[in-house]
Amino acid sequence: METDGSSALTAQHLVKIYNPDRPELAVRAVDDVSFTVERGESVAIVGPSGGGKSTLMYMLGCLSRPTSGSYFIDGRDVARLGDDALAEVRNRHIGFVFQAANLLPRRTAVENVMLPLAYAGARGARERALEALERVGLAQRAAHRPNELSGGQLQRVAIARALVTRPSLLLCDEPTGALDSRTGREILDLLEALNREGTTLLMVTHDAAVARRMRRALRIGDGKLEADGPTGEVLDGAPARASDAGGG
Amino acid sequence: MLLWETLGTAWKALGASKLRTALTTLGMVIGVGAVVTMLAMGEGARAMIEGKIRSLGTNLLSVTPGAPTRGPVRTGSVETLTWDDARAIAELGEVALVSPESMSSAQVRYLARNMTSSVVGATASYLAVHSYDLTAGTAFSDNDLLARRRVAIIGANVARSLFGNLSPVGERIQIKGMSFKVLGVLEEKGNEGFFSPDDQVLVPLSTHQAALFGRDYLSSIALQVASEEATSRVETEIKRLLRLRHRLGASAEDDFDVRSQQEMLQVMGQVIGIFTALLGSVAAVSLLVGGIGIMNIMLVSVGERTREIGLRMAVGARRRNILLQFLVESVIVSVAGGLVGLGLGALGAAGVATVAGWPMVVPVYAVVLALATSFGVGLVFGVSPARRAARLDPVEALLHE
Ligand SMILES: Nc1ncnc2c1ncn2[C@@H]1O[C@H](COP(=O)(O)OP(=O)(O)O)[C@@H](O)[C@H]1O
Ligand SMILES: [Mg+2]
Repeated sequence: METDGSSALTAQHLVKIYNPDRPELAVRAVDDVSFTVERGESVAIVGPSGGGKSTLMYMLGCLSRPTSGSYFIDGRDVARLGDDALAEVRNRHIGFVFQAANLLPRRTAVENVMLPLAYAGARGARERALEALERVGLAQRAAHRPNELSGGQLQRVAIARALVTRPSLLLCDEPTGALDSRTGREILDLLEALNREGTTLLMVTHDAAVARRMRRALRIGDGKLEADGPTGEVLDGAPARASDAGGG
Repeated sequence: MLLWETLGTAWKALGASKLRTALTTLGMVIGVGAVVTMLAMGEGARAMIEGKIRSLGTNLLSVTPGAPTRGPVRTGSVETLTWDDARAIAELGEVALVSPESMSSAQVRYLARNMTSSVVGATASYLAVHSYDLTAGTAFSDNDLLARRRVAIIGANVARSLFGNLSPVGERIQIKGMSFKVLGVLEEKGNEGFFSPDDQVLVPLSTHQAALFGRDYLSSIALQVASEEATSRVETEIKRLLRLRHRLGASAEDDFDVRSQQEMLQVMGQVIGIFTALLGSVAAVSLLVGGIGIMNIMLVSVGERTREIGLRMAVGARRRNILLQFLVESVIVSVAGGLVGLGLGALGAAGVATVAGWPMVVPVYAVVLALATSFGVGLVFGVSPARRAARLDPVEALLHE
């Protein structure tokens, strides 16, 4: 099937089965999910716990391969790429923000932000890392180690690390889950600002208030895409739109 | 770029638990230290033996009691050689000088100072046969032997220990409680393997046998043959003569052993060879244990850093980047241990060289071998943990607690 190269990502009939070789343990965590995200969109992925949100996000982030189906990033099919090629896609095109900041404990903030650039073989890494820290408002904390930073600051460093390779796609899994509500709002403000500047934003969350900061929402339940539309409608229980590859 | 990141990570990871890192290197330290000591010992011993063979000449024979053996371990009776055997040997043609010798250990005392030394009963030809010179005093006379006089010639160390800066000649020392007059002092020779001529005290053989130790048997008979080409002829003659004198039947084994000095030194070389082989096996086992220790700690480290590995994969690390990271760490640990071992090995070699009195040589190939070995051990035993890290599933690694 052809895809429009201008879309940020296109998922076609994505299926993920855990333990496919052992029927008694097999789980269809993601079951025939198709949707398209255009560049610059902000999308919440919502649904009940165990519904398959994280599984879907790992596939969208090229951390795991779908059991079947196709997945395009910037028009390129990445579902069947080898390990090295997937690593490169993650490095160049995708930034991750997890619930935990996952910083290297004995490295300074700027060294943590430089990490993706080391694997990209990029030059001027320190300057670019400092720029990214400046973008998240932490330039003056560049030389601090993680144990000298607050929870919100740690998450900002993680966001700077996700931004530093200038990815087209930012994937967040409960990025405010470990923060108090005020700090969480500041992080969401930052992510929203980045989205306004053109970065496509996908956010897994079980928190409706967080989801409402995104313009569009996908509801995943029991591995299936149950609803796809403007966040308000999806959260208030609207059914799934007809989701063909070109739709959005 | 990536190299600095990899080295930086290794540095931080190893520095995070310094004690653990230090303990991990211990096996390599011991293994490489033993290898270096062993190789240096082998080199030093070889240098010494070659030097001795060159300086001693090739026309010396030594007759010792007991059955001949191929190896260094002596079997059979050691009370078979007598002074009369030596006198009979002296009658053979082509024999220039004969030195019958009887060696015992005893306390030697001068005033309040005393030491344990080898007291050697010797004749007037002892000094000439062994090419020893005196730095002071005179040698024994035939009369000293005939009259069993209580006179002594002392080694350089004995003179230093008992007399300090005083002149020993003419003084009286006590051997086994008997008073001996010091006639002369031997020049300093340095160690000869496991025997130090500087620690000995020479007394007339007759005095040694009759007054001091009361036994008639000899420890050895050293002799100088008239010419080098006569050596093997004389060897055969001595064997025939002694078998006759000892009334050995046709089927009986020799109860004595005739060897040239060269053969004696070769025996010593064999002893050193066994020593170094022993050290070598210690080294091999230590290297194995060291390698397994490194592998064990690296596996622990991979387990502890699973989330870090997942994070690195998420931000773009390829499997080979992860593999290299852990290989670099295990090689650094191993080579660091190797370097410390190299230093300790050189110290050990210097210690052995001082005690054994041979030149201190740490050959270049030993240094290269030590470093190459520790590098190789780090690589070989690092592969399995590093592969385990590189094969982790990114998602599972990220979710790891
Ligand atoms: N590694 C795994 N092996 C087997 N089953 C899994 C694994 N990870 C998740 N699952 C199952 O897949 C389903 C979806 O899980 P997940 O994607 O974590 O849902 P969510 O993020 O929406 O809570 C759940 O039933 C879960 O038990
Ligand atoms: Mg989840």
